[in-house]
Amino acid sequence: MLYLQDVTINRGSKIVFYNWNAKIENSKVTIISGKNGVGKSTLLRAIAGIIPLEKGIVKNYNNEIFKDKINWGQNLIYIDTKNGLSKDLTVYENLKTWSEMKGWKTSDDDLQKALDSLDMLNHKNLYVSQCSEGLKKRAALSRLYLSFLFDVKFWLLDEPTNELDKKSIILFNKLIQKFLENKGTVLLACHELKLFDFSYELLNLDLLKK
Amino acid sequence: MSVKSSFIQIFISHIKREFLINFRSLVDVISIISFMILIVILFILGIGPFEEKLRLISNAIFWIGLILAIIPSLEKTLQRDYDNGWLDQTITSPTPMELVLLSKSLAYWLIIIIPLLISLPLFIVLLNINLKLIPWLLVSILVGGLSISLIGIIGSALTLGAKRGNILLPILIIPLIIPILIFGVGISEAVIINESPLGNLFLLIGFTLIYLVISPFISAFLIRIAISR
Repeated sequence: MLYLQDVTINRGSKIVFYNWNAKIENSKVTIISGKNGVGKSTLLRAIAGIIPLEKGIVKNYNNEIFKDKINWGQNLIYIDTKNGLSKDLTVYENLKTWSEMKGWKTSDDDLQKALDSLDMLNHKNLYVSQCSEGLKKRAALSRLYLSFLFDVKFWLLDEPTNELDKKSIILFNKLIQKFLENKGTVLLACHELKLFDFSYELLNLDLLKK
Repeated sequence: MSVKSSFIQIFISHIKREFLINFRSLVDVISIISFMILIVILFILGIGPFEEKLRLISNAIFWIGLILAIIPSLEKTLQRDYDNGWLDQTITSPTPMELVLLSKSLAYWLIIIIPLLISLPLFIVLLNINLKLIPWLLVSILVGGLSISLIGIIGSALTLGAKRGNILLPILIIPLIIPILIFGVGISEAVIINESPLGNLFLLIGFTLIYLVISPFISAFLIRIAISR
């Protein structure tokens, strides 16, 4: 379980969450929904540790996650709308440098399989500057496959399905299902709930943030 | 199970990534050198055909040219990774941001220093630099270049997300570069009047070491602020 206790999160000078409590169940998919600007991305960024909490704590069972940032950094994959791909590198090089940045020693075979998980193997030598938005998103999401090899337990995904086509959404669903079998927890901000063919908890910020 | 790499391996992989990106877009590196050559040529044309005048100020021209040429490219060192979301990814990685930034400034140092050393003979000819100065010039460029890139990372982190970053950056970092300029020129002047340049060199190294210690911490702090906005 991830517990958020009395959390206050600011974005610049604006208070987005004030003394807010929530819990996110482990080994399940939790979808954060709500209207634009309600704070879905802010919440994800705060849990990922990108935005510091003004007040309050986030606990994974009894461990405060931000006390041990090295452990937390190895335990999560965060992908937002910016993707984090360098346009001067190819899709393959981006995945390779990203896994090195996470501190994972991946073989060529691992990376090929990761790219294959979202059907990106044909585009692996394409420069990111030449990719369409959908291809970029798939290149970013192919990182998720590496979590099966390196024991990652949390995925924090900010609107991952926006640019994906139907076939990629099926592949993405497969990845999530495999992750759930490995006792992984997915936290996902999204508008289109009917895209997913698995059961999920709903965290509706419109209702909860009062 | 899988193998995890140590901090040193991650550090090296960050440097490798910077090299890969910068040598894919060689324009930036080439623009630094050509800009510096142009500044030096402008000075020489401005002075006119008087060898004595040039001899008096050739070292100053060299250092000013170096600093002015490097500054425009400093902004890009972090801005690119801020825009494409790579900094968000590194902050959610197990590596401390300070280490990432140290690797970035070392990589930037190597990337600008190698073409600069290659083009050094050209500057020696253009500025009529005394040949006995060359070893000292090499050392002072190596050390001074490291300071400039360390200071540059601070400036670059400070202007992340700012609307007029490219104008703000020189105003913020040129005051910090002044000691590097003074001691760098001091080394060459001491050699010319046949005195020991070691005093100036040690001061230059001292400043570089100070920046080496504080720069990663300051810039990591600044980046966390920029990213959390």
